Amino acid sequence: MSEVQTKVRIRLRVNGAEHEVDVEPRWLLSDVLRHQLGLTGTHVGCEQGVCGACTVLVDGRPERSCLMFAVQAEGHEVTTVEGLTPAEGLSPLQAAFQAHHALQCGFCTPGMLVTAEALLRENPNPTEEQVREALSGNVCRCTGYQFIVDAVLAAAREGRS
Amino acid sequence: MTAEMLKPKFTGARVSRLEDARLLRGQARYVDDIAVPGTLEVAFVRSNRAAARIVSIDPSAALRLPGVRAVWTFADCPITIKNRGFQVEQPVLAKDEVRFVGELVAAVFAEDRYTAEDAAELVQVKYEALPPVLDTRAALTDAPRRVHAERPNRFYHKVHETDGFQQAFANAPRKLSLTFRTNRQTGAALETRACLAMPDPASGRLTVYATHQSPHNLRAQLARLLDLPENQVRVVVPEVGGGFGIKAMFYPEYAILADAARKLGRPVKWVSDRTECLLADAHARDAVHELEVAFDETGRILALRDHVYGDAGAYPFLGYSGAVGEAGWATDMLTGPYKIPEVSIEIDCVFSNRAPTGPYRGVGGPIGAQVHEGAVDAVARALGMDPAEVRRVNFIGPQDFPYETPTGGVYDPGSYRESMERALALVDYERFRRQQAEWRKQGRYVGVGMCCFVEPSAFAESEAGSIPYEAASVRMEPNGTVTASFGLGPTGQGHETTMAQLIADQLGIDVRDVVVLHGDTDSAPFGGGTGGSRSGTIGGGAAIRAGQTLRAKLVKMAAHLLEASEEDIELVEGRAQVAGVPARGLTLRELARIAYTDIGRLPEGMTPGLEVLVRYQPPLAATYSNGIHLAVVEVDIRTGLVRVLDYIVVNDCGRLINPMIVEGQIHGGVAQGIGSALLEELRYDGDGQLVTTSLMDYLLPTSHDVPRIRVEHLETPSASEGGFKGMGEGSLIGAPGAIANAVSDALAPFGVFITELPIRPQDIVHWVQTGA
Repeated sequence: MSEVQTKVRIRLRVNGAEHEVDVEPRWLLSDVLRHQLGLTGTHVGCEQGVCGACTVLVDGRPERSCLMFAVQAEGHEVTTVEGLTPAEGLSPLQAAFQAHHALQCGFCTPGMLVTAEALLRENPNPTEEQVREALSGNVCRCTGYQFIVDAVLAAAREGRS
Repeated sequence: MTAEMLKPKFTGARVSRLEDARLLRGQARYVDDIAVPGTLEVAFVRSNRAAARIVSIDPSAALRLPGVRAVWTFADCPITIKNRGFQVEQPVLAKDEVRFVGELVAAVFAEDRYTAEDAAELVQVKYEALPPVLDTRAALTDAPRRVHAERPNRFYHKVHETDGFQQAFANAPRKLSLTFRTNRQTGAALETRACLAMPDPASGRLTVYATHQSPHNLRAQLARLLDLPENQVRVVVPEVGGGFGIKAMFYPEYAILADAARKLGRPVKWVSDRTECLLADAHARDAVHELEVAFDETGRILALRDHVYGDAGAYPFLGYSGAVGEAGWATDMLTGPYKIPEVSIEIDCVFSNRAPTGPYRGVGGPIGAQVHEGAVDAVARALGMDPAEVRRVNFIGPQDFPYETPTGGVYDPGSYRESMERALALVDYERFRRQQAEWRKQGRYVGVGMCCFVEPSAFAESEAGSIPYEAASVRMEPNGTVTASFGLGPTGQGHETTMAQLIADQLGIDVRDVVVLHGDTDSAPFGGGTGGSRSGTIGGGAAIRAGQTLRAKLVKMAAHLLEASEEDIELVEGRAQVAGVPARGLTLRELARIAYTDIGRLPEGMTPGLEVLVRYQPPLAATYSNGIHLAVVEVDIRTGLVRVLDYIVVNDCGRLINPMIVEGQIHGGVAQGIGSALLEELRYDGDGQLVTTSLMDYLLPTSHDVPRIRVEHLETPSASEGGFKGMGEGSLIGAPGAIANAVSDALAPFGVFITELPIRPQDIVHWVQTGA
């Protein structure tokens, strides 16, 4: 524990952009995204792999960035909430979240958006039960989930129309 | 121009939130998102003993670690929180003795958090064990010892008995007794607590960013503890990821960070990890209610006797003890929506070697509601009556308002029976009872539970603010847009939208032309922050009054410039115009320009500018919302698991500002209530070790646990400006009792009656198997 931690240089591909960063091998992907790359949209709620606030896409699949070391993300495509956000305005899913009041404090919201985005890409026509199943690894302490489920279902309907 | 802009009124409409875009785009800034160059990161060494004498603290190995700048113990930061009301002092870093697992012992300052945490593990603390005080009853008699040597463990004792209690109780034809117990829980906001303190070397001022519900309260507390004038301290509360009461309190970490920023001359930042949250954020709901109910054969409840035991943990919070606050609220509301004339209440609160208790959404409300609703259902079961019928017999009726409770409250009008009847209709109660009987024959145990609650709100005093008023500063800028500022402390409630709705309606402008600021003591008017469901009612009242004041000035200007009488001027869609003659008008933009830069055209004697500061105090010491939660649950008697099949809320919080936001608040409180009833428990072992230190052990409700919730609104207006009542806590007040009663109802064939929360699956299996 007390020896000096040496850094290694890694190449990360995040939201389509290449980054070269020097990291200690033990640094979490969540910390490197937030504090090295300044992508603070990814939130850290527990660092225990439970709350899902830190969810990002790794090669299109939702992963908890607090359970990955940044060095493990080398060679993979990482997408954060910033990568799902248009240059101006809101994505269809984000707009549905606003229309349905699917957020209050907003802390779980990026993780919810990332998880729901992955669901809709895989299953554009989910049932309510499938939405609840997909979101069951993301804790929200404010909304009771109902309006989040409504928003995801509405975004799916929008996507089909 | 959009359709929304054409709407005459925003108040009462489902207006989309103005704060959402930044939150959805990942651009919001919570404390940990604020990066200041040169910041030192802090990790704390916390006590791993419930009770022990500190023999020695050796930081030398930690200090040798590269990147470590300082390790502080009490000697380096000799700040003591003096809680005179409770006759207890709390050193911000433990001095000589530790009193709970998680208490701060040392602070490590390093160039990054990883290093700080490495170093914290290298700090050697030698303890000499003391017997921990963990049993509330024993603690009353100072056994096995005193938590604080200088004072008895029992620090609060209160007795309240109505004059007619003894006679009513002695003469009552029927009596029953029940012991209700709630176990420790916590708000568990998803954003953990955090603080970033930095000195401004040029001005000498101190800036503190913090996750908090009351910026001005935090400023006052920091200034007092650090012996600084308040104008030398700036508190900034940026985006906050949930509060639920835990973030209304002052915590020792904030004093240490503020002191370190000044003494080390660098910005210092601490972000709590989840384990620290579970160890040391305000715990709540650690209470026992020994209840005796006196009633007659018709189901009328004649008297209640309640002896409450509350565990405060090792220290009170600064100026507030959760045990006292909860016992007070629970017993103040002991008779709920019922006309129960006589009560006898006794409260005992003790210190223990567990974490301090403080507020969690609803404070004692959920406990009080669980107790009075448990009492009603127990009476129903004893008499073989339907629980709804016992409620009908006892409700306070419309003719009884204002109703003075036997505990000293005065209820303003509400819709007690009406809300229950509506919920029963929504669930089709008679049909449900028939269906339930069928299901029981098939071995399915489905139950319905009700919780009729009264929610006191907008108090003259609350744990967050302790001031009975709020202030709104409203300024129309020279281009006609509006900037408003409040001393509120929103943590997700959407005040930037609701306050804008109220102001926009007064000024006849689009809600999106109003920016609402809060959280920065340098710019916000002095305010009490957010807690006790006060912001909508008191802050909203201030918003309306400030809007009215600004409106009056605009009308006066317009009347002068348009050569019309003030009574004929209306403000509509961003214009001031003569009613009935829309062509005779001016845009507010033009009026604003004149008010600031063309002041020769102002009426004689009118001061330039368009800026008002208005304080509003509601006419009553509190206004009471009410409602009912009705839950339908199914219990799997083999696994003990409880599934919520249907959930209905009929809620009455007076006039609604934004029904969508109100429903969001209700949904969230129900989810927390389901957690309270079925999942969440902070468990200590026999040595005083907290054994639920991760979210794998402290279970929060997920999207699988919370059903679809059906909400209906009734609107019995309050006497406050706008007719609003507070509603931030009622949903968590109503839910645990509803779930408890539903599980009791489901398991009635086994004689089970729920009195302890949370309800554990293993207990259900045990009760069913043993018939206990």
